[in-house]
Amino acid sequence: MGRSARRLVPCLARLLPMAALLLAAPPVGAQLRSVELYAPRPFGHVIGDTLALSAEIVLDAPFRLDPASLPRPRALDYWLELANVRLTNGGASDGVQRYTLDLTYQTFYAPLEPKRLTIPAVPLTATDGTRQVAIAVPPWSFLMSPLREIVATGESTPMALRPDIAPRPVATASTQRGLLAALGGLVAGLGLLAWQMGWGPFGRRRDRPFARAAREVRVALAASARSAASSTAPASAPGQRAALLALHRAFDATAGKGVFAEDLPDFFRAHPAFTAAEAEVRRLFAASRHLFFGENPLEIAREFPPAGLIALARRLRAIERGGA
Amino acid sequence: MRLRIGRDRLILVASSVLMAASLCAGGIFTARLILDRAANADIAALAIGHDIPVAAEARPELLFARLIFLTTRDRFDEAQPLMNRLAATGTPRIVAHALYDLANGRLRVAISHLESNDVDPAVPLVRLAKEGYRRALTLDPGFWDAKYNLDVAMRLVRDFPQIESSGEEIPPEAAKRLWTDLPGVPRGLP
Repeated sequence: MGRSARRLVPCLARLLPMAALLLAAPPVGAQLRSVELYAPRPFGHVIGDTLALSAEIVLDAPFRLDPASLPRPRALDYWLELANVRLTNGGASDGVQRYTLDLTYQTFYAPLEPKRLTIPAVPLTATDGTRQVAIAVPPWSFLMSPLREIVATGESTPMALRPDIAPRPVATASTQRGLLAALGGLVAGLGLLAWQMGWGPFGRRRDRPFARAAREVRVALAASARSAASSTAPASAPGQRAALLALHRAFDATAGKGVFAEDLPDFFRAHPAFTAAEAEVRRLFAASRHLFFGENPLEIAREFPPAGLIALARRLRAIERGGA
Repeated sequence: MRLRIGRDRLILVASSVLMAASLCAGGIFTARLILDRAANADIAALAIGHDIPVAAEARPELLFARLIFLTTRDRFDEAQPLMNRLAATGTPRIVAHALYDLANGRLRVAISHLESNDVDPAVPLVRLAKEGYRRALTLDPGFWDAKYNLDVAMRLVRDFPQIESSGEEIPPEAAKRLWTDLPGVPRGLP
């Protein structure tokens, strides 16, 4: 006892300056606030499973993880592979530096019965530029389960393998869909062009005087309504005139010659569809006679308010289209 | 009236652009479809056992079909270069399947060797098969058939740690005969 105590004294004497040095430096543990390991369930893993571990590392602010100390993805053991390492910097705040270290392992252990295995600790280094501190992600242990029984008891032989995977043909469905879409695009483009040029079934489209007249009536009346509102003119005569002229031009174009009130019976005989609106058309011709030749041009405004004119133009357009 | 002309021209330009783009796309899709059909014909022919040569730069699906053709005929030395080629060009899924099928072929041959008590040629085949299953599982950890067959292979020839053998279960046969790489067919409880 006494001998050992004598030996201890010089030993302590030598240690003392070192201890003083250690005390002068900040304690080593202070640079590392915490390492928390988040792991999957610790049981029920089979051969070939991946294990995703995540460590939250909190350091005191000037200290940072040394990226060179991160483990490389590699085979750690004959049964364990480190498949992926990802370090996410959580940023510094309130004097602490946060990191998330995601470690993905893959186990290739083939147990005969449930077996406890341990993923070893991961040593890391933190540094503030001058000092280095060793920290470690703690080890993690888990239970691996066997995939098969030890002795085959069923009708299958113990060496029966799972079947091969047969080669599959190249998938052509998406290419076929693409081809169909391209054909559709081509047809659509051709259709658009034919519609624009008045080819084929679109040939009659361009010859619709009442469709144009309906548009012009609306535009003329809207313009005159705007000018009436701004200039406080009592009557919207110019708009009415333009609208009526447009309608007359449509009648002329449909008949192929000038149509006056006297020619209306002939017109209805030649274009029987328009008899559906015979009364209104006659009223229109009477009103336009008032407007253009009569002594009371404002009569038309009473007879055919703008809304009525537009409605009539639409009605005629529908008849022309064959829809009414 | 000017507005109308503008619209007319716009429609004209739009329809021409649409038609030109559709024509281009249609040409590309048609060419691709023809190539796909040719490849599928080859794949089908290989599947029913016609020995159709496949270029090394062929598409992965065709390489895979050729690989299976060779593997099912135990021509592993010819299949391995195709496997390397496929590993470089194929999608992870098809590479995993190819690795699995090649490993299956090797393991089947190894088992037939073992059944005739021919141990020496079986061991390297089992080792290669295990390597193949591991690589397949690395690519696709949810590949259950590969897990199962790897388990079968592992019980034939166990993996052992390089230095110490702690933490490893030795199958009963291997323990009895004290031979690390000995293939054993577990036939009954220890």
